Amino acid sequence: METERSTWVWSGFSIVVLLILHFLLRPLFVRLPVAPNLLVGALLLATLRLRAGHAALLGFSLGILEAAMALEGMGWYALALTVIGYVGARSRDLLFADARFYVFGYLFLGTWLAESVLLLLGTSPPGPVRLLAGGGADALLTALVCGGVEAMTASILERQV
Amino acid sequence: MRYLTVGRPESQRRDLVLAVALAFFSLFLAGLSLDSRLAITEVLRSSILAPFLGAQSMFARGADLSEQVATLTTEREVLAARVLEAADLELENQQLRAIAGLPERRISEFAVGEVIPGAPEAGVSHSFLFRTRDDVAPVTPAGISAPDGVVGVLRTANGGSGLGEFWTHPDFRVGVRTPSGSATGILRSFLAADGETMMLLEGIPFQTDIAAGTLLVTSGIGGVHPAGVPVGRVVEEAETRSGWSHSFLVEPIVRPGQIRVGLVWLVGSVLPSQDTSSS
Repeated sequence: METERSTWVWSGFSIVVLLILHFLLRPLFVRLPVAPNLLVGALLLATLRLRAGHAALLGFSLGILEAAMALEGMGWYALALTVIGYVGARSRDLLFADARFYVFGYLFLGTWLAESVLLLLGTSPPGPVRLLAGGGADALLTALVCGGVEAMTASILERQV
Repeated sequence: MRYLTVGRPESQRRDLVLAVALAFFSLFLAGLSLDSRLAITEVLRSSILAPFLGAQSMFARGADLSEQVATLTTEREVLAARVLEAADLELENQQLRAIAGLPERRISEFAVGEVIPGAPEAGVSHSFLFRTRDDVAPVTPAGISAPDGVVGVLRTANGGSGLGEFWTHPDFRVGVRTPSGSATGILRSFLAADGETMMLLEGIPFQTDIAAGTLLVTSGIGGVHPAGVPVGRVVEEAETRSGWSHSFLVEPIVRPGQIRVGLVWLVGSVLPSQDTSSS
C-alpha cells in the first residue's frame, strides 16, 4: 500500500514538473527547430500508470489547455490528445509489460504519432519532410528527456522498495 | 516496475465509453462558434494558465531588456568613437572661425529620454509620453529623434515630462531635403494602399526626379528638428499628382514600435564655451 502511494506521488510529481516546464518554456520550444514535446511526453508517461478512461480524461484536459495556450485548435487538440491518452493506455497493456527499455520506444513512437497529428491539426500543416524528419527528431528528444525522467522515477521507487 | 493494468472487461467498457464521450465533447467544442471558443480560451488564460503566461511575459521582458542593453552599449561605443573623431574637427572649426572673425558656432544640444508609446491614454497609437531629466525643460514643439532618425514631435512639456506625437500622426509635417540638396519638400504620414503607414514627400517640382532609395534628411527649416537627421528613403513616385509638383512614397527609417529611447532637441541651446587656449 505504502509502495503504491509513493509510486503515485513520485510519478505524479515528475509528470506535473514536465507539464509545468512545457507551459513555461512553450515560447522557446516553438521557436526552436527541434524541441521535446513535454506535453505529449508527460501524457504518455501518465498513460503508463493510468486506466485508459482516466488517461483519455487527462488527454482531453491537456488538449483544452494546449489549445488555449496556442490560441488555435480548440476541440481538435482535445480530441487528438484524448485518443492518444486512450490508445496509449490500451497499447501499453498490449505491447509490453515490465521492460523499462521499451518505455523509450513507446515514448518515441507515441510522440511521433502525436506530433504528426497535432501538426496536421495546426493552422499551417507542414509538409511530409517536416512531419517525418522534424517530428522524428522531436520525438527522439522527447523520448530521451521523458524516458530519462521515467528512469529516474523508477530508480527512486526501486530504492525505496 | 509493473505497468500492466488491463483490468476487468466491465472497467474496459467504462473506459471506452468515457473516451468516446470525451471525443464527442471535443468535436462539440471544435464546432462551437469562434466567439464561444475565444470565451473559453479567455477563461482558461485568465485562470489556470495565468501564472504561466505571466512568467512567459516576464522572461520576454527580461530578454527584451538585455537586448536593449546590448544595443545601447554598441551605440555608446560607436558614439564614443565619433566623439573622439569629432574633437579634432571641433578644434579646427574654432580656429577657422577665429581666423574668419565669426562668432562661436551654435551647437545643437539633445537630452535623452524614455518614449512610452500609447501613454497616457491607452489605445492611442499616434501619441507617446516622453520622460527625461527634471532639470531639462524643452521648448515645444521640439523634434524627437532616435539615433537612426526622426521619431516625432514633442507637443507639450512640463518639467521633464511631455506629450508627443509620432510621425504617423495625421498632423505631422517635416521639411526634408536630399543629402545633396538637389530637392526639398515636405513629408507627412500616408496610409499606403496595402494599409501600411508610410510617408509621402510632397511639393517636389515636376521636373525634379528623385531616385528610389535616396535618403531624405531634415532640412532644419521650421526650427522644430535640427538639420541633417535621417527621416526615410524614397520608394517610388506616388500616383497622386497635383499641378506642377509631384509626390513620392517614402519608407520611414524609424517605426514607432521600435522606439523606447529618444533624443529631444533643445532648440537654440548653446553649449558652454570651451577654453582652447591650453591646446
